[in-house]
Amino acid sequence: MSEVRKPRDPVTGHVKALAKGFKYLVEPNRMTLDYPAETMKLPPNYRGFFTVDDKKCIGCSMCEMVCPPEAITMVPRIIGEGGKTIPAPEGEKEAKGPKRTKRPVVNWGKCIFCYFCVDVCPVDAFIPTQVHDLAFEKDSEYRPSYEEYLKPPEEPYKNAKKVVSKADLKRGVGYDPAP
Amino acid sequence: MNEKVYNIDDLQNVNVDGEKYIILQIGPSHPGSGHMRIKVWLDGDIIVKVDPDIGFVHRTSEWLSERREWIKAVPIVERIMLPDTVHANLAYVLTVEKLLGIEPPPRAQYLRSLVAEINRITSHLYGIGIFGIFLGSSTVYMWAFGDREPFIDLMEMLTGARITTSYIIPGGVRWDLPNGFKERAETVLQYMERRLKDYEDIWVKNPVVQARTINVGTLKKEDAIALGVVGPNLRASGVYYDTRKHQPYAAYSNIDFEVPTMKNGDSYDRLLIRVEEIKQSIRMIRQILKDIPEGKIVADQIYNQLNPVMKKNYEEKKRVMFPAFMIHMRPPAGEAAAKVEAGRGEIFFYIKSTGDKYPYRFRWVTPSFRNLPYFTHVAVGHRLADLPTIYGSIDYFPPEADR
Ligand code: SF4
Ligand code: SF4
Repeated sequence: MSEVRKPRDPVTGHVKALAKGFKYLVEPNRMTLDYPAETMKLPPNYRGFFTVDDKKCIGCSMCEMVCPPEAITMVPRIIGEGGKTIPAPEGEKEAKGPKRTKRPVVNWGKCIFCYFCVDVCPVDAFIPTQVHDLAFEKDSEYRPSYEEYLKPPEEPYKNAKKVVSKADLKRGVGYDPAP
Repeated sequence: MNEKVYNIDDLQNVNVDGEKYIILQIGPSHPGSGHMRIKVWLDGDIIVKVDPDIGFVHRTSEWLSERREWIKAVPIVERIMLPDTVHANLAYVLTVEKLLGIEPPPRAQYLRSLVAEINRITSHLYGIGIFGIFLGSSTVYMWAFGDREPFIDLMEMLTGARITTSYIIPGGVRWDLPNGFKERAETVLQYMERRLKDYEDIWVKNPVVQARTINVGTLKKEDAIALGVVGPNLRASGVYYDTRKHQPYAAYSNIDFEVPTMKNGDSYDRLLIRVEEIKQSIRMIRQILKDIPEGKIVADQIYNQLNPVMKKNYEEKKRVMFPAFMIHMRPPAGEAAAKVEAGRGEIFFYIKSTGDKYPYRFRWVTPSFRNLPYFTHVAVGHRLADLPTIYGSIDYFPPEADR
């Protein structure tokens, strides 16, 4: 490795460094995304905000058990018309009795998007999305109620230009308009 | 380097001429110290003694993991080694697999090596970037952090997350290679090879960098061994040791690669060795993508426990869902240890199980912690202005050391 280590003679060294710097000054290597004017369409397995399919879920609590930061709470529900659930009476903590069940709610302040819950669900009831850039104004918004949690997360910048990232030989990361 | 011999244990804080040493506290809220404090005794501007004060970002990862189900330790260990998450994840899972007696299938082994090598490149680029800004070069800082991006994109494409991938689970991995991954990876590798030439001109062989790093913070071979230094820092001192070669895990026994070593063990060698390792990782990624065998990505013990919905998902989307076993796993009583060569050196894991749903004893030693003796040892005798060089060159990551 001694040839790698050999000090470059200062004149050549400085000239080469300056020349390279000048080259990138004239021809910059920018890979910046103009967010939020442009937003990225992420790969389908990207782990973003997710919601649950009320009809599919069987209330088994597996997701609650696997969640590493304990972000999931199970709320008591009653199975109503057509498999949809309705809230259990106020004050009822335990899901006991006829048509009683439980449904998961995620506390977004705690969730680390590991997707252990999504993967452990025996009926694959979670609906993942690629939305990742929601902002919350109030502390209470982190902790949605079950009804709020059921609404699919909305992308914050709907009118932004959609791009997909690609590997670019010249710039490292390049962007194509999303199909 | 100053040749005067100091009595480091002299706590009188006076030098031979009866003058007081200056005691300088660098950090913890200092951009050049990371999340730690370095206490420096100075005679003029010559460093007499260095006492690194660590523990500012201690996050009780061992304690937390001993009070949770086994699978829940995966995100915890990842968050300790943020630039190097895959290796922490892999080391933990290898230990658990030893306890469980599960052997992942060959394709999963290759995928593990693949993410590990992608992660090693991002980790080394991170180290080179931080070294750059410590020496005052914001150019290489921006370049290195920018060039991590294509690799992080590759991780995102494969695992669904940029940094905290949680990709490796006991028995295998969670996702298979997506379509188009190989072509994209090849473009990224070619891009990086070209960029390494640019790095050479603007940074690695820059006379300013050479002047500031050559013969600064030299650690001799014998001292490196005696102090228990690990990883690229050890190899920079000329010791041929790499866990990937000496105790191969994942797919490394089937991959042809070299372990670069240097001779001098100074800051410049520690920079060069990282560049060389990036080249080796590029070579390894190419081989892995070429040779990767077909087959399952999760061990049969796990696969057979998947229910029909999960099996359908596995066949269609190549996605491994978790059987209930993942929550309720209780590895048989016993002890296991595993080692993994992470970006900054060797991670060592020791776990004791009593057959319970939580680990009984969870112990891990991270590479940065083992590289800590560098501070007390090599900085003495240098000028204060050399301290950032030494710090930057050892690629020390305080949260990793504090655990
Ligand atoms: S993604 Fe992970 S952290 Fe978030 S709710 Fe699911 S299991 Fe919990
Ligand atoms: S694991 Fe799936 S089915 Fe069970 S409670 Fe959670 S969402 Fe419902």
